[in-house]
Amino acid sequence: MRNNSFFCAKKRCSPAFKACPAHPHSFRKGGSNTGNLADTLMEELNCETVFTLPVLGGISESVVVTWIIMAVLVLLSIILVRNLKVENPGRVQLALEAGIGWAQDFFEGIIGKENRRYVPYLITVLLYLAFANTIAPLFGFKPPTKDLNVTAGLAIMSMCLIEYSGIYKNGLKHWVKHFASPVPVVAPIMVLEIVIRPLSLCMRLFGNMLAGFVVMELLKIVIPLIVPIPVSFYFDIFDGLLQAYVFVFLTGLFMNEEME
Amino acid sequence: MLSLDLNLVWNIINLVVLYLLLRHFLFKPVMGIMDKRRQIIEDGLRNAQDAQNDAMKMKQEYEDALKGAKQESVQIVENARSAAKNEYDRIVAEAGEKAGSIIENAKETVRVERERTMRELQGEIAGLAVASAAKIVGKTADQDLYDQFLKEVGGTHEDTDEK
Repeated sequence: MRNNSFFCAKKRCSPAFKACPAHPHSFRKGGSNTGNLADTLMEELNCETVFTLPVLGGISESVVVTWIIMAVLVLLSIILVRNLKVENPGRVQLALEAGIGWAQDFFEGIIGKENRRYVPYLITVLLYLAFANTIAPLFGFKPPTKDLNVTAGLAIMSMCLIEYSGIYKNGLKHWVKHFASPVPVVAPIMVLEIVIRPLSLCMRLFGNMLAGFVVMELLKIVIPLIVPIPVSFYFDIFDGLLQAYVFVFLTGLFMNEEME
Repeated sequence: MLSLDLNLVWNIINLVVLYLLLRHFLFKPVMGIMDKRRQIIEDGLRNAQDAQNDAMKMKQEYEDALKGAKQESVQIVENARSAAKNEYDRIVAEAGEKAGSIIENAKETVRVERERTMRELQGEIAGLAVASAAKIVGKTADQDLYDQFLKEVGGTHEDTDEK
């Protein structure tokens, strides 16, 4: 029954919640209520291994949800990008261009027009995070960003990008030297910063999403009717988009700092 | 929940693949279109600017040409006027000169004529005087007549001198 949780998760938002076989104990009365609530919560928080490949090992839920998000994003872009015209663009194309243009301007404003080459990656992360954080209320998946593996992966990519952009822009020599500026005493702290920056990115995203998820799950178990709706708007949609924004914003900011 | 395992690697691979896919399917076409449109707009603006510059240059040229023509026409009129004035002055001066000489000639002619007339008149008067004297002397010698004669002759003389 526990292994079924991933598929059951799709039904979390449905009115058939009471009938879900995964939570038959949610509404049991008596003194064991608290323990059962904790059990249910832990079950929701676990990242299930969906299936196991022979050589590569277990594939967790977050990876599968990421695949789904990737598929959706790629399909959407293929559908939206068809029939692009230079003159007399349609309404869909105008909206698409406005969105991409806004993101482009936003990132160019942070990292500078001369570093446009990093903008597509940052927009990709923004899109991915926006989808991943808000996918729970929209489609009923567990958000992949509440898995530490996902945020750690994102943060490691950001770290690589931040350091790479600095080395690419100013050369390896300058990159090595900048640890000792303004005074060599700060060098250990500056070296630590390489790790601290992505760690803070990773933990901020993970903590926010996990906390929002826990609060939402608790609320859904305690009051499953109507009340979760406005709270979900805050914790799932607003907080999710905000965290996506903060993640890419800080990545861009760190890159800019590194490229100075 | 809080464990890092091989899924970290899968997620990174996922992210890179997603980036490559989106770059190919989303960013390249959309940004390409946007760049193309920006290019077209910039070209259009530049062309418009060029056309405007050309128009301004031509206008300047025309204005210069017009101003030149105006000045030239003023110059021509001025020249014509001064030429006409010269001609007028010359003609008037000539006419005055001619008139002067004509008057001079006329005066000279009148003077010559009068002198000639006077000489003729004097001769006549002298003849008359002689004739009348002979007549008077022949008839009676009258002191009064003589005096009268002398007086007349003298008066004639005086008249002549006066004139």
